[in-house]
Amino acid sequence: MISTQLLYSLAGVGLFAIGLRATLLHHLLLPRLLALNVCGAGVFLIFIAVAYAGIEGMADPVPHALVLTGIVVAVSATAMALALGRRLESKESETMKSEAMKDE
Amino acid sequence: MIEILWFLVDSMLVLLLLALAWTTCSSRDVMRAVTLFIAMGLLLAIIWARLKAPDLALAEAIIGAGVSGALLLSAISDYPSTAITSHRSPLMHGIINTFTLALTILMSWAVWHGLNMSDGVRLSEQVSSQIPVSGVSNPVTAVLLNFRAYDTLLELAVVLTAVLAVLILNDKRADSAASSPLLRGMTRWLVPLLVVTSGYLLWVGAHAPGGAFQAGAMLAAAMILLQLAYPSIHRGFNLYLLRVLLVAGIFTFVLVGLWMMSANDDFLAYTPAWAGTLILIIETAATISIAAALTLAYIGGRPTGWETGDHVITGKEDAG
Amino acid sequence: MSNAIIWVIMVPFLGSLVSIIWSRYASLIAIISNLAALIASTVILTQVYQSGPFIHELGGWQAGLGISLRADALSSILLVMSMTVISAATFYASTYFTDAAKRARFWPLWLMLTVALNALLLSGDLFNLYVTLELLGLSAVALTALSDNRAALQAAIRYLSIGLLGSLVFLAGVALVYAGYGTLDLAALAKVVQANPLSQVAFGLMTAGLLIKSALFPLHFWLPSAHASAPAPVSAALSALVVKVAVYILLRLWIDVFDLVLTPASAMLLGTLGAIAVIWGSWQALQAQRLKLMAAYSTVAQIGYLFIFLPLIVVLPEGTLQDAAFTALLLMALTHGFAKSAFFLSAGVIQQYCGHDRIAELGGTARALPLTIFVIALSGVALIGLPPSGSFLGKWYLISSSFHAGQWWWIPVIVVGSILATAYVFRILGHAFGPGESIGRVLNWGREEIPALMLALIATLILGFGSAELWDLVAQHGDTTGN
Repeated sequence: MISTQLLYSLAGVGLFAIGLRATLLHHLLLPRLLALNVCGAGVFLIFIAVAYAGIEGMADPVPHALVLTGIVVAVSATAMALALGRRLESKESETMKSEAMKDE
Repeated sequence: MIEILWFLVDSMLVLLLLALAWTTCSSRDVMRAVTLFIAMGLLLAIIWARLKAPDLALAEAIIGAGVSGALLLSAISDYPSTAITSHRSPLMHGIINTFTLALTILMSWAVWHGLNMSDGVRLSEQVSSQIPVSGVSNPVTAVLLNFRAYDTLLELAVVLTAVLAVLILNDKRADSAASSPLLRGMTRWLVPLLVVTSGYLLWVGAHAPGGAFQAGAMLAAAMILLQLAYPSIHRGFNLYLLRVLLVAGIFTFVLVGLWMMSANDDFLAYTPAWAGTLILIIETAATISIAAALTLAYIGGRPTGWETGDHVITGKEDAG
Repeated sequence: MSNAIIWVIMVPFLGSLVSIIWSRYASLIAIISNLAALIASTVILTQVYQSGPFIHELGGWQAGLGISLRADALSSILLVMSMTVISAATFYASTYFTDAAKRARFWPLWLMLTVALNALLLSGDLFNLYVTLELLGLSAVALTALSDNRAALQAAIRYLSIGLLGSLVFLAGVALVYAGYGTLDLAALAKVVQANPLSQVAFGLMTAGLLIKSALFPLHFWLPSAHASAPAPVSAALSALVVKVAVYILLRLWIDVFDLVLTPASAMLLGTLGAIAVIWGSWQALQAQRLKLMAAYSTVAQIGYLFIFLPLIVVLPEGTLQDAAFTALLLMALTHGFAKSAFFLSAGVIQQYCGHDRIAELGGTARALPLTIFVIALSGVALIGLPPSGSFLGKWYLISSSFHAGQWWWIPVIVVGSILATAYVFRILGHAFGPGESIGRVLNWGREEIPALMLALIATLILGFGSAELWDLVAQHGDTTGN
């Protein structure tokens, strides 16, 4: 029976791989963002699994702080990426509209 | 016996997690993918709690599933309604699959090796020994706001940069027609509850799970909820004030650090006697900044008059 | 005076915060902040020169518990270069943006970029490096998107996605390192890291993430469009600095921390990729139709040169030979930093006055904008590697190190790369000196041309003649672990 640490670390590796594969496969923004977030969750899981010290012991607080930072960074990056996508979207529909008007 | 039970529970959680991750990433429908992603975030919160990381469980639920979820869901409406497909050639598919599989094996091997070779000595002993002088008794808060406070400061800078970008890029979010009396009714008692809980989280973070990030995100969640229930409320929000608050919080953090530099000759080195109070001040400032930041990140918008320094807030409305 | 190490990071930070609220005075705030940071960086360099490298533990907590900042020859020299380029570009940027709205949005982000660069160069902690990398990436992307046209936005989105992937792969490596060694402090790690599967995989992951960020072939595809469509001062910072600091972190890890883990084969792999980058990047630069696109491809090539040094440094025995190779790498990195930023600022001037940067239509520019063309010629000299520029010495030592290490196959690559560089520089000059109307009047000494001139002079003259000092500095105080 494998230890809890190992089980969850491997789960983290699995998440990382799933997210990485999806990032490489997709090229649309939203699926890519989701995949990157999954990838990040995998790395976080590795950190926390490593920090775990059993039900009785005190878990190592440093990785907890690091992952907290990581979550906030991830949500900021996601917000920014979505804003960029939205701006590009509006630019592209602007050009389509002006081209349609030119045709008329 | 109990170990076997724990193992079964853990295996179930892990399998569910991997399944959610896989379906999120391979789903063809955008709405489904985002919903599964939010579900995965909530499951992750449960796992953090299982792994004795309650601060993280709170943060993941509020920020990872909550705020992220709100952002992603509102992005779907801007997104063209095409199904998600991968345009890579089968050869590329094969290469990526093989590559990822190989990487998984390599990393698993490395992890197994690493867990065996380390003598388990982590930094927890060092942290425990220094907690009495840190000013708080929650070890995660001690690390976040005392030992590694510089990282937290830079992290706030990251948040600020992202919010600046969001504000620059887009007009304010359009008034959605999605509100309903049910939502409004629920919001009326939910929002005060959220605000009070956020204050509690901030206060209790010194000696129990909680802290600035969770509190700030909860406040932001309350604001987002208000925005959803009363869509025209952003006209009443003083967005200039939000920006000032965002900056003021981070500014306070830096000033405390510099003040300590002049008092103790080192940046962010708290005098042990004042450490608790200083941390509370910084945490309050950070809460305000995070709340303002996440609210602005959701509402977006380029308030007119920002560039010329006027305080006129009308905000532009989206054409569609 | 160890507080200079704090001020160099915090002054631009405060400047950024203030410029959000007082946007009317943002240009002034930015100029003052960056000049102050420049002074602080020279103080740090002087301190390293006089008393050797030093580590500053923030908050006084012991290494591992807290975060440490470190300054040695490599990081303090790069810091001074970074602040010089940023300051020059700041002066230029104050005249570049005509739209008040764009100006107000530019300055806070620009100052954050400065903070990120400085914090990264001085960081001594693996996770702190990750946070600074993210700050750098986000501010760079936001600045790229300021051009607000389709090309820039598309490039920015791609830059962001690839950048996030690179940071996450890097972070995965950091997680593995923590799993195995229980510490994140670079100095502490340098003492305990040994060659074992965990270190190798972690090292590989971190290197991969950094290779994405430093745009080494074949992971360079995001760079040309991003650097070409960003506003000119931003492009200058991106090519000269943002890409460089990723190489800096890589060097730090390869030479300081993981020196027992790396193998000559992996170094050879990176060197080969670098060689391909030199040829391919120079060839694409020759074909480019626009000045900024040409400059961006040229950056891909010049980064390639830096990576060719790796297998040489790894193979050469410790001592004067290895030091010479290391210093030559530094010299090439510095020269490129100054020359490329001068080039981009000049391209910006041309774009301001001619309304475009298409090379084929540059006829008559030599008469109309003599100073700018002179600057382009000067930086071209540095990019090709002609004497007395710093990169001449750099390439010279690269060639001689190849002989000493028995790796003569890099020499034809360097020669071909230099020939191609000569071709694309002379292509620009040929068109500029050709017949044409250009802007129809002559600009003798535009204020916006001065920063570029300063940078080009540093690249071509000062670095070339002043390299002896550099050799001393590196030989005495290579780095904090005494390598």
